[in-house]
Amino acid sequence: MEYEKVYVFEPEGERPAKRRRVEPQGLQTSWRRRRQAFDQVWTVQQQALDARLESINASTVDKVWQFLEQATLDGQPGRIPTGIVLTGADGATGSGISKQVAERIRGGKHRRILLSLSSSSGTSLKALLKTLIAKATSRRTGSSDDDEVDDEDEELRNPRATGPKLLNYDLQLLQDHVREHRTEQVIITFEDTEAFDSDLLSEIIELLGCWQGRIPFACLFNIATSIDFLQQRLSKAAVKALAGQVFDVALSSAEIEQVCEAMFDTDTPLWIGSGLVSTMLERQHDYIVSVDSFVAAVKYACMSHFYANALSVFLEPGSESRDVGPDHIEAVRQLDSFKAYARRLLDDRQVAVLKDLLESGAALWSLVLDKVAEGRQKLSAMVQTLKVARLVQQRLPNTPVSSMSSLYVQAMSGKLVGSPLIRTLLLTIRKAPSNIVVDLLRELISSHTEKGTPTFSGCHEILTRFDDLIESQKHSKKPLRGEDDSQNTTLRTTVVAQKVELSKQKSALSEQDKKYTELLGLLTTGLEELFADNLVNPTNLVFHEIFVYDLKSPYREVFTPRPRHAIERALATPHDYLDCDCCGSGQGDEGAEATLAATQPATAVLYQLYLESGSLINAGDLWQAFQAVLGDGREEAETMALFQRGLAELRYLGMMKSTRKRVDHVAKVMWQGL
Amino acid sequence: MPKRKAGETTIDEDLTPRKIRKAVRDDAEPIVSPQTAAAETPSGRKSILRGTPRKLNGIHSVEATPKSLRKVLFTTPLKPDDEVVQADEETPTAVGNDRSARRKSQRVLQTREESDDEDAEADEAIAQQILEGDAYEEDDEEASTRDEPGLIADTPSKSGKLRGRPKGRRRERTPSPVPDLPPHELYFFQNRAGGNKTSANTLPSHVLLDHDDYFAKINAYEDPHVADVERLKRLHKRSFDQWIFELEEGLNICLYGYGSKRELVMEFAEYTYGQAESQKPRVIVVNGYTPGLTVRDILVGVGSLIAKGAKLPAQPAAMLDLLMLKLEELTTTQPILLIIHSLDHANLRKSMTQAMIARLVAHPSISLLATCDTPNFPLLWDVSLTRQLRFLYHDTTTFQPYRVEIDVVEEVNALLGRSRRRLGGKDGGAYVLKSLPENARNLFKILVEEQIGLAESFEPTTTLGAANSDDDLDPDDLLGASDDEAALAEEQNTPSRRARGRGRPAKKAKVAARPVARAPAVSAMEGVEYRALYHKAVEAFVCSSELAFRTLLKEFHDHAMVESRRDAGGTERLSVPMGREELRRMVEELE
Repeated sequence: MEYEKVYVFEPEGERPAKRRRVEPQGLQTSWRRRRQAFDQVWTVQQQALDARLESINASTVDKVWQFLEQATLDGQPGRIPTGIVLTGADGATGSGISKQVAERIRGGKHRRILLSLSSSSGTSLKALLKTLIAKATSRRTGSSDDDEVDDEDEELRNPRATGPKLLNYDLQLLQDHVREHRTEQVIITFEDTEAFDSDLLSEIIELLGCWQGRIPFACLFNIATSIDFLQQRLSKAAVKALAGQVFDVALSSAEIEQVCEAMFDTDTPLWIGSGLVSTMLERQHDYIVSVDSFVAAVKYACMSHFYANALSVFLEPGSESRDVGPDHIEAVRQLDSFKAYARRLLDDRQVAVLKDLLESGAALWSLVLDKVAEGRQKLSAMVQTLKVARLVQQRLPNTPVSSMSSLYVQAMSGKLVGSPLIRTLLLTIRKAPSNIVVDLLRELISSHTEKGTPTFSGCHEILTRFDDLIESQKHSKKPLRGEDDSQNTTLRTTVVAQKVELSKQKSALSEQDKKYTELLGLLTTGLEELFADNLVNPTNLVFHEIFVYDLKSPYREVFTPRPRHAIERALATPHDYLDCDCCGSGQGDEGAEATLAATQPATAVLYQLYLESGSLINAGDLWQAFQAVLGDGREEAETMALFQRGLAELRYLGMMKSTRKRVDHVAKVMWQGL
Repeated sequence: MPKRKAGETTIDEDLTPRKIRKAVRDDAEPIVSPQTAAAETPSGRKSILRGTPRKLNGIHSVEATPKSLRKVLFTTPLKPDDEVVQADEETPTAVGNDRSARRKSQRVLQTREESDDEDAEADEAIAQQILEGDAYEEDDEEASTRDEPGLIADTPSKSGKLRGRPKGRRRERTPSPVPDLPPHELYFFQNRAGGNKTSANTLPSHVLLDHDDYFAKINAYEDPHVADVERLKRLHKRSFDQWIFELEEGLNICLYGYGSKRELVMEFAEYTYGQAESQKPRVIVVNGYTPGLTVRDILVGVGSLIAKGAKLPAQPAAMLDLLMLKLEELTTTQPILLIIHSLDHANLRKSMTQAMIARLVAHPSISLLATCDTPNFPLLWDVSLTRQLRFLYHDTTTFQPYRVEIDVVEEVNALLGRSRRRLGGKDGGAYVLKSLPENARNLFKILVEEQIGLAESFEPTTTLGAANSDDDLDPDDLLGASDDEAALAEEQNTPSRRARGRGRPAKKAKVAARPVARAPAVSAMEGVEYRALYHKAVEAFVCSSELAFRTLLKEFHDHAMVESRRDAGGTERLSVPMGREELRRMVEELE
C-alpha cells in the first residue's frame, strides 16, 4: 500500500490483539468525563464568542445589505453598484463580511447569487470568466423550492438545450442562467483586490460594465490599502463603470479585544492565566493572524487543560454528585496550593481539620468543590472590578482607557494591586472637580445595579453627601475642587543662597471645598479597598491549579513550531532525541559542543560534515571524510550505502542540491541556526 | 604558460615579479630546471598568483586589495630585479630548508619592503594575508591528519587536497566575532565570500552502489540505534489519544521533524480503528511522495467515499466544487480522516494544490493528519491557507529512514549529476533493446561505444592532470567546469596578458591549447555530438536518412535511455545516462 497513490485505509490483519481497545488506567479513567466537561464548557464559550464576533460587524453588514437592496431597486444604468469594504491590513483573512452577506442572501426574499473571486481564481480574463460562470451556474439560488431544484439539476445537465453551443467563458451563459432563474442580483466579491493584476481587474470590470444592462451585477471589493490606490490601479473606463460606496470594517485588534471581553465575561469555569494570554496577544499583535486563530488558541488552551489535567474533572458541572477515583483525591493532595493551604491550617492550629482532609477522601472532596467555586467566584469578581477600573478611566478626563485584555493580563499576574496604573487612577480622582466625580459615582452605582459590577460599601451614602454639598453650592457656577487639585496649589519659587527652591503653597480652601476633599478621601479609600479586595492574585487561591490554566509551552509548540530548528537539532545533536548511551556528547566540559562520533546515525554524521563545508562541497572529499568517521571495521560498500542514504536524505530535506559548476560537487543551500 | 613567457622576454616591467616567483620556485624545488618550474606553476605552487587575489577578494580589507595586487604582480619597477634575486640567493640554505613556497614569497616580499618604504603598508597587508594563508594551511594539515588518516596516502596531490576540504576547520579556528549573532548576521558570517575552494577530487563512480547493491547492503545493515528509535516512537505513540481528541475537535494535525513519519502515522490509523467503538472511522491515505501524484488523485480518493458512484468532472476545481456540495448534503455522516504523507513533497507543492487541499479540509467533517519532511514547509501556506488548514503542529522526530519516500540511488545520482531517470539501469536498457529492431540496437551500440571512447580519451588527462602537461591549465579547467572563481581568476589574468600586448602568438597558442584540453572534457560530460553520431550511423548503414535516424532515437528517448542536451555552443549532444562500467557491460552484451 505504501506505493499506492491514494487508498482507503483498511486495518491490517484481523488480529484481535491489535484491535483491542486500550482501556485507560489511573488518572486517565476520568478522561471520558473530562471530555464531556470540556464539551459543555466550550460550547457555552464558543457561543458567546460567536455572538460577539457576529455583532461586531453587524452594523457594517447592515449597511452593505441596505446598499445592495437599494441597488436592486434603483441602480444607475450602465454602472455597477459597488461596495468597497475597507478591511485594513489583514483583509485577506476577514472574509467575514461576505460570509455574513451570503447568509443574508440565503434568508433574503430576493433571488441573488453571491460569487467570490480571489486572485487565484484565474490569471487571465478568460480563466476568470470561466470560474465566474462555473460558480454562478452551479450554485443554488436563494429560494429552495423543491421543484425549482429539480429544474435546476435538469438544466445543469444540458445547460443550453436550444440555440448554438456557447463557449464556457461567454457571459451569455450567465445571462441565460439569470433569466431562467429570475435572479435579481449577481453579487461578485473580490476577496483580495490588491492581489489581482491591475490590467486584469480593469478588464473584467469593464466587461462586467458592458453586461450590466443584461445581467444585474453588483460588486464588493475587499480592500486592505486605500481607495485612492484602487482608483490608481484601475483604468479610467473601469472606474467609470463603477458606482461605489465605502464601508468600514472593525479592525482585527478591535475584534481581538471583543473576543477577550467575551472570553472573560462568560461565567467560564476555566480561566486562562496571564502568561498565556499575554503570549497569545503578543503573537496576535506581532504577526497579523486572524481572529480565528486566536479563538483556536483559546480553545486549545481549554482542550489542553481538560486533556492533560486530570483534576479538571472537578470543573464538570454537576460533579458534586459523582465520585471520582481515589487516584484523583490523592492527586489533589499533591497540589502545591493544597500544601500551602495545609501549612496555613497548621499555623492556625487546626490540626484536626487537616487530619480529616488528609485521611478522608470525602472531606477533601467537598473542600475542593467549595474552594473551586470560591476561587471561580473571586476571579469573576476580579474581572468585574476591572470593568470598574475601566469605567473610572472612561469618566476621568485625560486618562487613557486601558484595554480589557491588558488589564486582565496584569490582574491575573497579581500585579495590578498597588500598580502605578491604579495609583495614578486614584490620584486623578483626588484632583478631579466635583462635577466629574459625581458623574463617576453615579455611573458606578448604575453599573452596579444594571450589570452587577462590585461597589464598595457606603457609596450611596457618599453620593447623597455629595449631592447635599453641591445643592448647598448651587449659587456658584464653579464646581468644587479638592485639596489636591492643581488649581488650588500655587508653585512658589524662592531664591535662597543662589539656589532656586520650589515650594508648593496650598491656597486657602473654602468650607465647601474642605468638605469636598473629605468626601473625595472617602471615595478613594472606598475604591482602593474595592480594588484591594477583589484584585486577588490567582496563584494565592487554593486549588488554582484546577481552574486557572497558564502553561505557555503547549501553545508555543503547537502554534509556533520551529521545524527547521527541530531538524537541525536532530541532525546536529542526535543524542537530544535518541537519548542513547553511545553518542552522548562528550563527557564533562565538552558537553555543550556537538561532536562527531562514529556511533551517531549516518545522516547526522554527514550533516555535521556538511555543516563544516562552504557553499560548494566536493562529494569525493565528503565521502572520504565520511568514510574516515564511519568506515572503521565496516565494509566499504556498507559505508557507501549509508553515505548514499545520507546524501539522499539531505537532498530530500532540501539541504543540498546538484550543481553544474564543478564535477562531483554539490551545492550547500541551508545554513544552520538561521 | 607560453604567453607569459613571451611577455617575460619582451617586457622589462613584468620581469620583476616573475623573477621573484621563479626564484622562489627554484628554491622550493631545486631539482627542476627553471623552464619546467615555470611550467609547473599552475598545478602546485602557482597559488601565489591565483591564491592571492582570491584571498584578497575575500575576507580582508577591500581597499588595499587592488592596489597591492597590481604591485605584486606586475608593477614593481621600483627596484632592480637583480637585487631581489640576489637577496634571495644570498640565503640559500635557510630558504632551501623551508619547504613552504608561501613563506618564501613572503620573505621575498618582506625583503622588498625593507628597500621600499613607500609601499610598506600595502605590502605588509599582503604579507599578513599570506601568513594567514600559511597558518591556515598548517591547520589544514592538522585537521586532515586528524580527520582522515588514510587520506593523504591516497591522494596524489596533497596540496590540492589540503587546499580544498577542511574549510570548516578553518572556520572553527577563525575567531568567530560574537557568539550570539542575530540570524541574518549569522547567515552572512557562514556564507561569507572567500575561501570557497574545494579540491578537484572526484568521487570514483565505481564506489557508488546501484539499486541491487544498495538494497542488499542497506537491508543487511543493522542500525545500532534500533532500540532508541523504537523508544522515540513509543514516546510519540503516547500522544495518540491526544491527537484523536484534537482531530475530533475540528483541528488538523501537522507532524514535522527528522525521520520518516509514515510508520507512526499508519500505526495511528490502526489505533483510531481500534479505539473507535461502533462506527469505524473512514480513513483515506494519500502517499504524497508517490511519483506523479496530483491533487486530482486525492479528490478522486475522497470522492470514492462521499460521492460513491457519482460521475466526477474532469477538472480538479470542478471536482472539488462537487465534493463540497456533496459534503454539504451529507450532514450526518461520520467524519473522514484524511492522512497525507509528505504534504510538502514536490508533487503537492503547487499553490493551487495546497489551496484545494486547504479548502477541502476546511470543511468540518473532514479532518487532516499530514506529515511534512522539509524544514521550511510552513512557507507553503499564506495567511488565508493557514487559516483554512487550522493546523496544530507536533514535533515527531522519529529518526527512521525515509525508506519509502526516497529512492536513494536515484536521488544521489541526480544530486551528483550522474545518470538520471534511467530505466532500471543496464538491465532495463537491455530489456528494451531486446524488443527493438536490429538497426536500433546497432545505433545504440555505436552511441555507447562513442561515449566510452570519448570518456577514455579524456579521462587519463584528469587523473594525471597537471603533473606532466606543461601548459597553464589548472585542474578546474581540465574538468571542464567553469567555477565562478576560476572564471574570475581567468578574467583577471586576461587583461594582464593583453597588457603585455605583444603576446599575439602566445595568445593563439593559448587559444589552441585550451579547447584541445577542454573539448573532450565537455563532451565526456555532455555526450556525443548529434551530427557526429548521425554520420557514424549512416556509415554503418544503420539508417539512410535523418528522419529514420530520428525515429530510431525517439524510441530511446521514450525509454529514457538517451538524454539529449545542448552544450554551451548550442550543439545537440546525446548521451546514455549510465556509468562507464555499465556502458562497457552493455556493449559486451550487445555483441
